[in-house]
Amino acid sequence: MMSYLVPILIILLFVYASVKRVNVYDGFVGGAKQSVPTAVAVFPYLFATFLMVNALKASGVDRFIVDIISPPFALIGIPKEVLKLLLIRPFSGSGSLAILTDVYQTYGVDSYIGNCASVIMGSSETVFYVSAVYFSQTKVKRLGWAVPIALFCNLVGGVLACILCRFV
Amino acid sequence: MNAIWTTIIIVCFVAITVTNPNTLLSLCVESGTQAVNYTLQLVAIYALWQGVFCVAERCNLVEKLAKILKKLNTFLYGNISTAAQNYISLNMASNIVGVGNAATPSAIEAIKLMENDTTLSRGGAMLFVINACGLQLVPTTVIGMRASFSSQNPSAILLPTIVCTVATLVLGVFLVNVAYPKK
Repeated sequence: MMSYLVPILIILLFVYASVKRVNVYDGFVGGAKQSVPTAVAVFPYLFATFLMVNALKASGVDRFIVDIISPPFALIGIPKEVLKLLLIRPFSGSGSLAILTDVYQTYGVDSYIGNCASVIMGSSETVFYVSAVYFSQTKVKRLGWAVPIALFCNLVGGVLACILCRFV
Repeated sequence: MNAIWTTIIIVCFVAITVTNPNTLLSLCVESGTQAVNYTLQLVAIYALWQGVFCVAERCNLVEKLAKILKKLNTFLYGNISTAAQNYISLNMASNIVGVGNAATPSAIEAIKLMENDTTLSRGGAMLFVINACGLQLVPTTVIGMRASFSSQNPSAILLPTIVCTVATLVLGVFLVNVAYPKK
């Protein structure tokens, strides 16, 4: 069902534009032209984020952090494997997909941990990545509470996910 | 961001230098290459969506969309320019139909219009938090992955995911309202 939605929307748009006598080709090319400066402005932030994620993995510091903070999180019902996902998720989409794959392989996709990880993956976002990209073309230096709020919401989402999955 | 990034980088670099000094530089270059490849992908993805959106704009469809979402946008973002409202409406629409990558360029444009200062305003904070709480309702990627791992019921997680997404979204909007009051 969902796989039809976007293609149909694009087709409808192009048909509608043609009926309205809008030059679709010119519009498409004109819009596409703007993608290069946008993506290039994002590049240094991507580089910095990837560097941090790779350094965390290569140094083993990520495992060290997980080991230290897993006991308190176990108390609020978050298994260790899921905690790893919860920690990497704000930084890297591809990194968290790798952990999700790992969880599916180790615990099985339909296990409790598999379900938890799925819900967390589906309901959370790469907070740091989004913040780097969104503010890449502004003068904003002081983000105030925006990032802590987003991180806190994702954490609450993670706890809620682990609770909800007990009923799946 | 500066404090977090710098602390993590210093700690990790020290750890790598102690255990495996030869790998540090290649790690940096590798990350750079990864970023270059990803940027190229983004150029392609953004080109597609900015192209499509530009066509929609020229048919005045974006304006119509913004009109439909006007009440919601005023409630969430306060008084912002019409141009910013248009981009925000595109951002919301892309998120809801599940193309998160299409949401990014319109969000960048909207934030560019809303932020003229070095301190983040309510509008920018709200748009960021809404996007960072995962406005995307249907987790197509996760369901696809579950199917490829031959799950008994790939979409079993749909309902809890939607509940989680909506709950974090409501919480996020509430917290932004507290931290960045309307002027």
